[in-house]
Amino acid sequence: MVTPLLLAQGVAKTFPNGTIALHGVDLALRAGRVHGLLGANGAGKSTLVKILSGALPASGGTVTWRGASARWTGPARARAAGIATIYQHVPLVPTLSVLENILLDRGGWRRDRRDQRAEVAALLARVGHELDLDALVGDLPIGARQMVAIVQALASGADLIVMDEPTASLAGHERETVYRIVRMLAHAEQRAILFISHFLDEIVSLTDEVTVLRDGRVALNAETATLDEAAIAAAIAGRSVTALSRTADRWIGAPALVATGLSVPGRLGATDITVAAGEIVGIAGLLGSGRSELLHAIFGAHPVQTGNVQLHGQPVGPSPEEAVAAGIALVPEDRAAQGYIPQFEIWKNIGLPHVGAGSWLLDPAAERGAADAAIARLAIRTPDADTIVTDLSGGNAQKVVIAKWLGERTRLLLLDEPTAGIDIGARTDILQLIQSFADDGLPVLLVSSEFSELIAICDRILVMRDGRIVAERRAGDIDEQGLILLAGGTLPTVEQAA
Amino acid sequence: MTIWTKPASPTWRTGLGLRDAGVYYALLLLLIVLALVANAAGRPGYLSPANLGNILYQASLVGIMGVAMTVVLITGAFDLSVGSVAALAAAILVGLADGIGFVPAAGAALATAAAVGLLNGAIVNFLGINAFIVTLGTLTAVRGLVLVLTDGRSLMVENGDTLARMLAFESSRIPLFGALLVVAALLAVRACLAFIRARRVGPAIAALAVLLLALFLGRDFTVAPPVLYLAIVTTAAWFVLARTVTGRRLYAVGGNAEAARLSGIDVRAYKIGAFVVSGLAAGFAGVLFGCRLGAVNPTALQGSELTVIAAAILGGTSLFGGAGSVVKTVTGALILFTLTNGFNILNLGANYQGMIEGIVVIAAAAIYTVGGRGPRRAAGAAL
Repeated sequence: MVTPLLLAQGVAKTFPNGTIALHGVDLALRAGRVHGLLGANGAGKSTLVKILSGALPASGGTVTWRGASARWTGPARARAAGIATIYQHVPLVPTLSVLENILLDRGGWRRDRRDQRAEVAALLARVGHELDLDALVGDLPIGARQMVAIVQALASGADLIVMDEPTASLAGHERETVYRIVRMLAHAEQRAILFISHFLDEIVSLTDEVTVLRDGRVALNAETATLDEAAIAAAIAGRSVTALSRTADRWIGAPALVATGLSVPGRLGATDITVAAGEIVGIAGLLGSGRSELLHAIFGAHPVQTGNVQLHGQPVGPSPEEAVAAGIALVPEDRAAQGYIPQFEIWKNIGLPHVGAGSWLLDPAAERGAADAAIARLAIRTPDADTIVTDLSGGNAQKVVIAKWLGERTRLLLLDEPTAGIDIGARTDILQLIQSFADDGLPVLLVSSEFSELIAICDRILVMRDGRIVAERRAGDIDEQGLILLAGGTLPTVEQAA
Repeated sequence: MTIWTKPASPTWRTGLGLRDAGVYYALLLLLIVLALVANAAGRPGYLSPANLGNILYQASLVGIMGVAMTVVLITGAFDLSVGSVAALAAAILVGLADGIGFVPAAGAALATAAAVGLLNGAIVNFLGINAFIVTLGTLTAVRGLVLVLTDGRSLMVENGDTLARMLAFESSRIPLFGALLVVAALLAVRACLAFIRARRVGPAIAALAVLLLALFLGRDFTVAPPVLYLAIVTTAAWFVLARTVTGRRLYAVGGNAEAARLSGIDVRAYKIGAFVVSGLAAGFAGVLFGCRLGAVNPTALQGSELTVIAAAILGGTSLFGGAGSVVKTVTGALILFTLTNGFNILNLGANYQGMIEGIVVIAAAAIYTVGGRGPRRAAGAAL
């Protein structure tokens, strides 16, 4: 086997507050190979990446780069040495053009722009992807920004490219582009790729070797060819993954939500939707299909929207205040930006939609009691309800955002990607929770990019494309493949949803 | 999963730690140092009740505006116009008092100030212009309006009766001993409850501090009314922020406006409301200022907005919204005016004053920022 380009031995990290993120991790990255890195939230993936890319110093162990010991004092040093890192939340300058972003780390001040342009154009031709070099990055969709970040890493001439969940926010066809480029870089250009992901299918199909972290230790390191998804999942979870099963013939009541003619100019065409009590309706659609707009329109959260929403026969006005007062709950897509107040403790976040329903004076004891009950019911992993919500891992923070709406007043639950960026254990917990809400008679509308989740727990699935509902299926009548084709494939005829 | 290292007895540490209670220690330390220096310089009596009352009196206007500024900062906005608005209110009061009497004139001044606050809030929230820019504009425009109204000259109240009533509103003496004892007793009751319920010692220390203060100041201690007004405004704002739904929502709006909106909170109403409160408080400070001399000149209170903001920063209020305490802001104002007072008593001259105050503000901000990068941040990075 080839000598590793980068060899990490016994890398450990203890934070000043005593939190041990890494207990001693070995990792060998070789040129020409894609190395998959997996692990539940909090397993130490991000910390390991930060150490490899020079953003954090290790507290123990050694990193060997091209056969020589390396201890970078900052990300710039690692980058100069030939390690480029593409972070999950792409740090690009939105007000600069694609070209300027790609060449952001170039020094010097008298470079010929035509030279640069030709160089980047050649690079793009090599990866076989088209980008408008003069477009402002701020105007690009998220998938194109991800491509800019990848090209930026390539332009720096890095030999090791670390990709931290590059596909998490991408739709299906955008992911395919990333896969193609990753394969090209590793196999044709002999670079080493460290590919971090939550998606088992892409890990299995894309990588040559897999390392799974669990609780700051290596739980599994093997050639991908010797593994299957179940084996990887077992290593991540450390316990057998509870399979979700759909209860056949679940009780479904009378129509609860009846929305007609909902539209948002340019984003959502006139849409009718009905959800019955106890029914879980899934919405399958790619990024930009209008799926989030539909939920926000039902919630009255769009500044410009038209249409009527009725809940249990009562009309609901077009504003979040009226929606919440009527018992509509929205768990938004981006929990950090839309879901919680970062400065607030768990109990204050959970109580936020409810305080004010009763008296003007706060009752912290009652709020804490409700929060403790929610923490127990949702199995939120936290020392207590006084923990600041940003100190929680992604899955637990998501549970807090869901817990905001556990109150008795909730009569319709809208969930926008509730399992995005969450490890398998928490994901299963949340899906089971959604099922239990529906079993209690709550109407649920669920948006998810994980079509397998929709098939597992929904009663009915609507497929959205280009701001319209293009198909409706009973969950038992369709498989994941079929949904992917309906949402992103070529449709022979667009059928009208009932 | 990450191993949780739960801090031992969080209430003790967080209640009395440098980050949470630092501003109180700073004020105490400053008083002690100035008292020692004054004593060494042969000027005893720095810590006399009369001088402490003086400091409170001098800090009262900035304190009142600082309380409202804290509310604005908590919602994530900014109000630079308070100095000009206060001057406008003072000009309206002094200009109208002869014609329509003190109370109607004060009402007109407050209404005008609130209207400016509403204007600020409406422009910021409906047009979406940055609060810094909008209030920088009203800072200049309102000062211009003051110049127009006063025609660039000092205004004075001529009517003797009206003037007497205004002076009484601002400059009579109020005995404080009994009131302090009552406050100490109330705090003691609260302290017992807090300790029994949650093992919190903060209220007990506050009760003890007030009691000691009352005993130290003595039976004959009196203050001017603005000190009392400051106490009332601060208590009311503290109560609303800490104990009511309105307060919780103000913090939520500043912490994450989008999350607050999607939780069913009318974000705009709270943000605009904070500007109106700020305008009202500035108006009230202006009324007090006008009553102090029964006169106002067009440059009155110029630059006071910066002192107000400095007080809020000293008190640890975040300029990014979502965090802040009115009691700490008032303490911050007291620190600034204790410095001023100390410089005057020690005859150090006004030349050094601005320099020292500026350094104090930056040092305080540095302590809050660096102190905030403690274990919590590091833990966040591990997740």
